[in-house]
Amino acid sequence: MIAALARPGTSPLHRIAAAPKLAGLAIVATVLFFVDEPRLLAAAFAAALVVARSTGTRFAEIGRDLRGAAVVLAVLGLADWWLIDGPTAIAVVLRLAAIALFAHAVTMTTSTAELTEVLERIFGPAERLGLLDAARAALTVTLALRFVPLIVEEANAIREAQAARGLDASPLALAVPLMVRVIVRSEALADAIDARGFPPEGARRGAARHIPARPPSP
Amino acid sequence: MTTRDISLVALMAAVIVALGVVPAIPLAGGVPITLQSMGVMLAGLVLGPRRGAAAVLVVIALVALGLPVLAGGRGGLAVFAGPTAGFLLGWVLAAFVTGFLAQVFEAPEKSTPVRTLQLTLAAIVGGIVVLYLCGILWLAFFMKMGLAKAFAVSIAFVPGDVAKAVVAALVTVQVRRAVAIERK
Amino acid sequence: MSDTSPERAGGATGAEPGTLSQTIVFSDASVVRSGRTVLDRISIGFEEPRVGIVGLNGSGKSTLLKCIIGLVAPSAGAITVDGRDAIRDARAVRRTTGFLFQDPDNQIVMPLVAEDLAFGLKNHGFSAAEIATRVAAALDRLAITHLRERRIHELSGGEKQLVALAGVLALEPRTVLFDEPTSHLDLKNRNRLRDVLQALPEQAIVVSHDLDLLADFPRVVMIEAGRVVRDGAAREVIARYREANR
Repeated sequence: MIAALARPGTSPLHRIAAAPKLAGLAIVATVLFFVDEPRLLAAAFAAALVVARSTGTRFAEIGRDLRGAAVVLAVLGLADWWLIDGPTAIAVVLRLAAIALFAHAVTMTTSTAELTEVLERIFGPAERLGLLDAARAALTVTLALRFVPLIVEEANAIREAQAARGLDASPLALAVPLMVRVIVRSEALADAIDARGFPPEGARRGAARHIPARPPSP
Repeated sequence: MTTRDISLVALMAAVIVALGVVPAIPLAGGVPITLQSMGVMLAGLVLGPRRGAAAVLVVIALVALGLPVLAGGRGGLAVFAGPTAGFLLGWVLAAFVTGFLAQVFEAPEKSTPVRTLQLTLAAIVGGIVVLYLCGILWLAFFMKMGLAKAFAVSIAFVPGDVAKAVVAALVTVQVRRAVAIERK
Repeated sequence: MSDTSPERAGGATGAEPGTLSQTIVFSDASVVRSGRTVLDRISIGFEEPRVGIVGLNGSGKSTLLKCIIGLVAPSAGAITVDGRDAIRDARAVRRTTGFLFQDPDNQIVMPLVAEDLAFGLKNHGFSAAEIATRVAAALDRLAITHLRERRIHELSGGEKQLVALAGVLALEPRTVLFDEPTSHLDLKNRNRLRDVLQALPEQAIVVSHDLDLLADFPRVVMIEAGRVVRDGAAREVIARYREANR
C-alpha cells in the first residue's frame, strides 16, 4: 500500500493553506541556493529542524521518510569532499539537508487532496496557454492515484505466482505480463470512462469529437 | 488525447511506480537493482514518445503530491531539491526520446533479434545518454559540482542501466507480439 | 450534438418496473472488426423492462450492449435509443442509459467511494448541491452508506460491484445495461446483486452466463455468431440454449 507522507494534525504549518506554503518553500530554496557561507547554512539547517519538528512528527519518523534522500546526500557529500574540498562538501550537505527538511515539512502538513487542488489550479492557466486540457490532465492524475495500489498488488501477485511455480525472479517474467495486462485493462477502463459521460460538459473540446473512432472490442 | 490514451498513460504511471516498489530483482551479476528506470524506458518503447512522456509526468505529479512512489520509498517535495532531481525530471525527456527513436529505428519486417537491438539502441540513447545529460547538468550547476566531477559520480550507474535497456527492449518485443498497440 | 443539457430522467426511485423503459432499436446493424463480423445485420427492438441476452463467448453479446451507448460504432446500420442515435447523440443516450461493466475495478475511476459516485454527475454538469443529494440517495438505495468515505482499494469485490452500480444509479438513468454482472462475485454477493436487480425500477438489459439470474425475465434473446437466433420467453429460450450447448 502506498500511503501519503502527509499526516493529519493541527500545527501552525497544518493551518496554512497549500499555495502559500509552496510559494514560501520555493523562495527559501532559491535564497539558500545563493548562500555559500557555512555558518548561515548551519543556521538554516537548524531552522529547518525546528520547522520540521514543529509539525508534530518525531525526528525518528522524519528520518525514516528521508532515509533515501539521506543516502543520496551522503554519497554526494563524500564525492564533493573527495573531488573538491571539505568546506564545500559541508556547505552542500547543509544546504540540501535544510531544503529537504523544509520541503518535507510542507509535504507532511499538506494532504494529497489539498495538493491535487493546487495542481488543478495550475492546470487552468496551462490550459488557457494551450499546453494541456485541464479536465483530462486532472483525470489522468486521479486515475493514477486510484490504480497505483492495484497495479502494485498485481505486480506482487505475478512474482508470487512465478515463485510458486519454482521460477526465478526475472525482470522479463515480471514486466511482460504486467504490461500486457495493463494494456488490456486500459481498453476496458476507457470504455467505462466514456460510458460515464466523460469528458465533462463544457470541456474545451466538443463532446461529439470524443465518441471513440477506434475499432470495436469483442 | 483520447480516453484510451488517458487510461493507458495513468496505468503506465502506476506500472513505473510498481516497478520501483516490488522487491529489487538481482540482475546478471547478482547486484540487486530496482526496475523503476526500466519502467521509464518501457513507457517510451511501448507507448511512444508523447504518451510515454505523459506517463512519466504523472509519476512526477504523484511525487509532488507527497506519495512515496520512487524506488526506496522516496517521494514528496524534498526530492525536487535533491541531487537526483535532474535524473527525475530528465525522465520526461528520456521517455520522449526513447519513444521517438523506437518509432524511427524499429523496422517491423526485421527479425526479432534485429528489432530487439534497434529498440535497445533507442533505450540507450533516450534512457541513458539523454537522461544522464539532464542528471549531470543538474549536479554540475544546481549542485555546484562542476561538469567533470558530476560526470565522474554518475558514470558508475551506466552498466546497470545498459542491462535494463536490453531487458526493456526484450519486454517490448514480447508485449507487442501479445497485444496490438501503436506508438504515439 | 442535439441535446447536451442534463435532462431529468424522472424520479427513478419508487417507480414501477417498466415505467422507465426506453425503446432501443437496432436497424440492420453490423459490426466488422479486422475482417471478422462481430454483429451481422441485427434488427431488433427492446422495450421490455427486463431483457436477458445469452450466448457463448465471442458470440457478440458484449458488443451488442456496447453499441447501445455508442462505445462501439456499427460499420453499417444504426442503433437508436428513444429515437436518439447512439453515435451522434451519444452524450444524451449515456445520460439516460447506464452501463455496469463485468469488472468493477475497471469501472471505478476515483480513489474514494463518494468521489467516484460524483464522477458521472460532474461529467453531466450537475451542481455541487445536486451531486451531494444524489450521491447520498444512490448510497442509500443500495444500503451502502457506510462505505461513503472508504478507499476503493480497501473494498471487497462485492462491495466494489455495488459501488460501481451506485455510480450508475446516481445519474437516475432509465435503462441500465449489465455486462456479466455476477461473474466476479461469490455466491452471497451474487444473490445480493440478484435481489438488487429484481427490485430495480429501471429497465435492465442483462448479458449473463448466469442463466438462473434471467429465469423470470419476460424476454431473453439468444445470440450466435453475431446473429439473433432465438427470441422469446426466458424459459423457452434458456431451455433451447442449454439444449444447443450440452
